[in-house]
Amino acid sequence: MTDSIRQVFANRKLRDYATGYAFVIPALVMYVIFVVYPFFYTIYLSLTKWDGAKPVKEFVGFLNYERLFADPRLWSALSHNLIWIVLGTVTPVAIGLFLGVLLWRGLRGMVFFRTVYFLPVVLAPVAVGIIWKWMYNPQFGPINSTLRAVGLDVLAKGWLGDPYVALPALIFAGVWGYFGFCFVVIMAGLQNIDMEQIDAALVDGANGPQRLWYIIIPGLRHVLTMITAFTLILGVNVFDIIWITTRGGPGRATHVIATYTYNTAFRESYVGYGSALAIVMGTVSLVVSFIFISIRERGGD
Amino acid sequence: MESHVGASYQVARRPRRPARYWIARAVLYGVLILFALYVLVPFMWVIFTALKSNYEIAQDPLGLPPNWRFENLAQAWNQGKFSRYFINSVIVTVPIVLLVVSLSCLAGYGLARLKMPGRMLIFYFFLVGLMVPFTAIMIPLFYILRDIGVLGTYWAMILPQTAISLPFGIFFMRAFFSGLPYDLTDAAKIDGCNDFGVFRRVMLPLAGPAVAALVVFNFMGAWNAFLLPLIYLQSDKLRPVMTGMMFFTTRWGPDYSMSMAGTLIVMAPIMAVYLVFQRQFIQGLTAGAVRG
Repeated sequence: MTDSIRQVFANRKLRDYATGYAFVIPALVMYVIFVVYPFFYTIYLSLTKWDGAKPVKEFVGFLNYERLFADPRLWSALSHNLIWIVLGTVTPVAIGLFLGVLLWRGLRGMVFFRTVYFLPVVLAPVAVGIIWKWMYNPQFGPINSTLRAVGLDVLAKGWLGDPYVALPALIFAGVWGYFGFCFVVIMAGLQNIDMEQIDAALVDGANGPQRLWYIIIPGLRHVLTMITAFTLILGVNVFDIIWITTRGGPGRATHVIATYTYNTAFRESYVGYGSALAIVMGTVSLVVSFIFISIRERGGD
Repeated sequence: MESHVGASYQVARRPRRPARYWIARAVLYGVLILFALYVLVPFMWVIFTALKSNYEIAQDPLGLPPNWRFENLAQAWNQGKFSRYFINSVIVTVPIVLLVVSLSCLAGYGLARLKMPGRMLIFYFFLVGLMVPFTAIMIPLFYILRDIGVLGTYWAMILPQTAISLPFGIFFMRAFFSGLPYDLTDAAKIDGCNDFGVFRRVMLPLAGPAVAALVVFNFMGAWNAFLLPLIYLQSDKLRPVMTGMMFFTTRWGPDYSMSMAGTLIVMAPIMAVYLVFQRQFIQGLTAGAVRG
């Protein structure tokens, strides 16, 4: 009697487990085959010398990594990522916060402005790149044409052809395509701020900047951390907008880690070395995500 | 200009003064319009350029098109094989969205509500995938896809794009299902529903808004993907819109009128859909940041 009850119970439990796994396994299989396995495969490839065609992958140990540290092209690419991350995070978040605070209390035409600001966000980064490649066109591009029209010919230049200007110019295009996203997310966060606190501050005679600094920004802490994390990861991974406009040029002035990796592995066919670059990029991305998760856990009571 | 800013500051303290109130309003709207122009002016010039001839562009790069040459669009459409590219984009995007959403709903529900040993472990295993950038797996994926014989078919994009989209989808759906009340499932179980029945009849119908957000998010991700088809769908017959557009604008590079007409063709549909389904777009695309 007790035996059979126990058996039924055990079977029932097993059946429950089986149902649970049945829900999860299809996704798990896809994920393991096309994400997890390739990740370890990348590590393996990074320890080899291979051109992608030869039947034999020559095992070279950590040679690729030794070369990496002495590779000035990697350091220049990483420094461009860093510039992209700093400028490409601070600018759109600042613009989004500024516009969010302006539009916070609601305003006639609010829906119109939100629609417009978000418009470039739905565009593919590739489209953003092509639009701005035209804007920056040295010959007939609208920017140079406008400068010439108002007599500022001296300022007209080949924006994407000048190694000192190309990267900031691309970041400016990236900000165009992205600040609307920050704006909308910050607006959503502003809805959760306690108006009574603002009113109390007004009674106490707090001015605009004080209210911003002591009430609004702390109230948005969680939202600001989230967007910053988002934007940072985009900055580590940026590829499309650069590849479509400059392909890393002029010279190496706009190469970032993703374009350098793609170029090395697929265009120059140094698969082993490209894989080592991919691992560097994966590590950077992992560290950045990890730092952010831990900051969020600590700050996000 | 500066005195205006000063005026707006005064108004914050004494809002009863009509003149200053209106000046503050004017400054406020001025700033908002300035940013609206920052967004809209590049669009305007893409449209103007697309509808001029190259001669007209050289004559007057900034002004309105003297003759609105809508035939440029037809010409770009035909020369650029855009019908092929659009069909390809649909062929890869639809299965990706269906697969990601259904697998994410199933796994998200399982990880949120069903009992199984190692449930949290599996969840964290998926979460790690959120931090792995595509670049870190793109190189061997090429050889894996070649070895399983899907390179040269649409599956070469469908399979990896689905897989890299799963961690977020599962994270998102799990968070949603965890938030639903337990009474509902208990009631359905008493009425004789099994786990799958509860999922399909009770939980899934409640998940409408979350699923809609996930659909938008993944649709945009797959439609706008660039690096992935650049590597795995190299044949011109399989090329989706994004890489198609790249080859088109590269080939027609100095022909500004043609390349902007092509760009306009690619941008227009997504912008039209956005203007109609604005709320869903904004919710879907910001879902990750707002919810997380």
